[in-house]
Amino acid sequence: MTTAASRAGTWALALVPIVAVVELGLHVKQTTADVVPEADWTAAREAIKTEVRPDDLVTFAPFWADPLGRRTFGELATAKREGRSDVARFPRAFEVAIRGAHDPALADWKKVSEKETGAVTVTTYENPAPQKVVEDLLDLFPARVAVSRFDQNGESPCSFQQGSSAGGSTVVPQGLLTPADRFVCPGGHVGISVLHGSDHHGRLCLYATPMQGARLRLRFKDVTFGSALVGHSGVQWVAERTPTPERLAITFHAFDHLLGTHAHKVGAGWTAFELPTTELAGKKGELVADVAPSSQKQLCFEATTREVHP
Amino acid sequence: MSDEESEETQRLHPGMVAKRARDADLEAQEEERRAEESSDKETPKAPPVYVKELDAKAADGTPAPPRTRTPVPAAAPATPAQPWAVRNIDHLIGGGIALVYVIWLLVTARSLGFSRDEGFYFAASSDYERWFKVLLSTPGRAFERGAIDPIWASNHEHPALMKSLFALSHMFLWEKWKIFTDQSTAFRFPGMLAMGVALWVTYLFGAKVYSRRAGIVAAALLGLMPNVFYHAHLACFDVPIMAMWIVCVYAYWVADTKGNLKWAILAGVVYGLTLETKHNAWILPAVFVPHAVIVHGRALTGENRKKLPLPWALVAMAVLGPAVFVGLWPWLWNDTVPRIQEYVSFHLHHDYYNIEFLGVTYFAPPSPRSYMPVMIAATVPTTTLVLFAIGLVDRLRPLAGRAVLFLANGVEAITKRVRDPGPADPHEPDLLLLLSLAAPLAIFLLPRTPIFGGTKHWITAYPALAIFAGRGFDLVWSRLELVLRDRLPAERRQYVLSMVGAVLLLAPFAVTRHSHPFGLSAYVPFFGGTAGGADLGLNRQFWGFTTESLDPWFRANTKPGDTVYIMDTAWQSWQRMIDEKRIPPYLRGVGSPAEAEYSIVHHEQHINEIDYNIWTEYGVTAPAYVLTHDGVPIISVYKRPASRPRRR
Repeated sequence: MTTAASRAGTWALALVPIVAVVELGLHVKQTTADVVPEADWTAAREAIKTEVRPDDLVTFAPFWADPLGRRTFGELATAKREGRSDVARFPRAFEVAIRGAHDPALADWKKVSEKETGAVTVTTYENPAPQKVVEDLLDLFPARVAVSRFDQNGESPCSFQQGSSAGGSTVVPQGLLTPADRFVCPGGHVGISVLHGSDHHGRLCLYATPMQGARLRLRFKDVTFGSALVGHSGVQWVAERTPTPERLAITFHAFDHLLGTHAHKVGAGWTAFELPTTELAGKKGELVADVAPSSQKQLCFEATTREVHP
Repeated sequence: MSDEESEETQRLHPGMVAKRARDADLEAQEEERRAEESSDKETPKAPPVYVKELDAKAADGTPAPPRTRTPVPAAAPATPAQPWAVRNIDHLIGGGIALVYVIWLLVTARSLGFSRDEGFYFAASSDYERWFKVLLSTPGRAFERGAIDPIWASNHEHPALMKSLFALSHMFLWEKWKIFTDQSTAFRFPGMLAMGVALWVTYLFGAKVYSRRAGIVAAALLGLMPNVFYHAHLACFDVPIMAMWIVCVYAYWVADTKGNLKWAILAGVVYGLTLETKHNAWILPAVFVPHAVIVHGRALTGENRKKLPLPWALVAMAVLGPAVFVGLWPWLWNDTVPRIQEYVSFHLHHDYYNIEFLGVTYFAPPSPRSYMPVMIAATVPTTTLVLFAIGLVDRLRPLAGRAVLFLANGVEAITKRVRDPGPADPHEPDLLLLLSLAAPLAIFLLPRTPIFGGTKHWITAYPALAIFAGRGFDLVWSRLELVLRDRLPAERRQYVLSMVGAVLLLAPFAVTRHSHPFGLSAYVPFFGGTAGGADLGLNRQFWGFTTESLDPWFRANTKPGDTVYIMDTAWQSWQRMIDEKRIPPYLRGVGSPAEAEYSIVHHEQHINEIDYNIWTEYGVTAPAYVLTHDGVPIISVYKRPASRPRRR
């Protein structure tokens, strides 16, 4: 070792206390100045609450801060926004963010404005290609929905019940909570639930259990069609993360015509599908969704009729 | 040194203690030399001073490192002629550190809730307590199968030592002598004492191998890790196995160094106790066997002739270890072999639980190889890791040199070219500590090793890590002393050095202290702290221990009879919190959101599912309250809206 190298080594070791000083300084900063006070969240809510329209998205970033956003924004954090199927349906978004985070789903959106309320940044974005939602099937539940079991003996209706939810325990995973208000069939049910997707985001959807040896038929009445039927599907996240060759099929009919079949591949996660309905645009009628038999019970899907521009 | 001086030494600042210790060590070394001359074979030989070796290598004109100025001697053996306190100064220092730390744990125990595992162990220990009462009242009956199996079947997937100690502590310290007001503190106390033992032995090891200053710093840095501080509170086995691990390694080393039967037997018994603490003990042969092969193999080649070729400590461990293991675990007294098979099989085929790492929840093999190193970097204070790196590199260099020699020339060349270092080869403890560090970590480079326990599963590596950090501290101190030698007068130099030493410990202390009671949520400042950990997608907690931290909110916002969905809290843990009024005793825990007025969610990535199920049940997404640590959500509390009355 040369003298110079040895001296450098000595000085390098002598600099070690600087690491400790920096660590201490960072610690003090991170536990005081960097902590976002609730007041900043409240100020952010006050800043936008009069601007938010029903079809706007309000999203919180980073995702781990979502509980803080929901806590403070309350009714602005609706289930439709928090459990959104996708962002294309929203023409505009308010991103409420801390720590310089951004919702990656808005990466291609046009930034319109930005304001800061303390440590919280509220950014308004416009969707470059919004899809107008004509009808959301979730909004039809239960008044304009009929559910039946369809097997070799024919079609038998399932009754709508308002009971108590089923599920929940002190262990995880628990699976989808069976909602209190649901159609109950022999071997299955249909109700609105929130799916824990394999990406750990919540998805508001129709929890429709495929049945053994029978199809589950959902009839949505007086549906106004657009240029496409856009939907998404998923299965319970624990099942989703263990891919199988199995596919869960949902077949859609309207006006006695087949619109198409979406086959959800277990393991694919929250999956989008789009069935063109250009010839039905503007018409109103019954939409039928048949869920094929499967051993996989925790299927959840949602669909909207939309005006989709190519 | 007089008794009075010795007592004064105990009251001094650690830095000054180290200075005094150096002086005392020099005296002691001189005494040792004289003692050696008089062939006192009973006196253990202190390992050589490492700084001297470093200095010897700097024969290139480098400003002389503190060879003569700062000897930094390893703790020297005492002689029978010295006063008791002087002869036992290392135990006094180690015990003192342990005492202070255990008091810190006791003071903070009340504010830390109960994890799921603690709930299970409270229950199992209470079962075992019944057996101990039978043992004390009707000893003959206690050994009947009918008295053993129904009780010891409880939680028989883990050995009985710690749960037995939890039970005895509860029986005597809470029930009989009423020393503790909380039953949980009595259950937890043996685990806290185990942490004290870990610090004590870490100090001893560091002091004997490197220096008292290194030992003190090693013990301090081991205690100043947020994850370790958290686990040290618990009535669980992770800190106890860490303690037994380092005790076992230390016992092996002493036995190997002294080469006498007494220490070998002691090492065998200690290994049995380690086996009886937790199954991490199965890894210890990966520490001892390579060490024994290398060290005793050299005796066979002619080098280090004073070392016996047979490692008696290993023999004792192989013989006594299993005997102690079976002897202390009544569950194994009947159907011994199938029950051992069941125990081993349980851990070899353990379920994989969910754990988040860098934004991904892992639940099955292969586990990411980067998990262990990243989590160490993210949870052990960076100052500690830098000191560790310095100490490790310093000790690796000579070992690496030998390895290179071996690869280049074979054993024969080593024998010729490496001077016989005598019976206390300084590199033997280096090698032992290195193996003690590497073996528990290496397991986590295997793809099938589950990672759900986070850092606690390799916690046994931390004492060795801390000892190397202590060695690094020694080097930094010495180099600083060198840098300051010509710049400051001696008195100011000592003042500056003491300040620097304090700063090096202050950051780990501040980080650790602030982490309580959210130790598992805490990440080091260079990773951005708790929020940085959340940004990186690192696990925020597990096993629902944070529930108790909702107490102030519950008291302000709930009323008698309200029901709470307790989510990840174990029932036994919830009941203990109720019994000890850690949460309002008027609350009633329930097992589903449908039954509850209030539902809680312990935030972990895979537990988002519970949030969503509560949205379904309550029809709202907004929690009424979010418990945070440094602005990061720990628990959300949902309140059932009046518009959604409970239907069951």
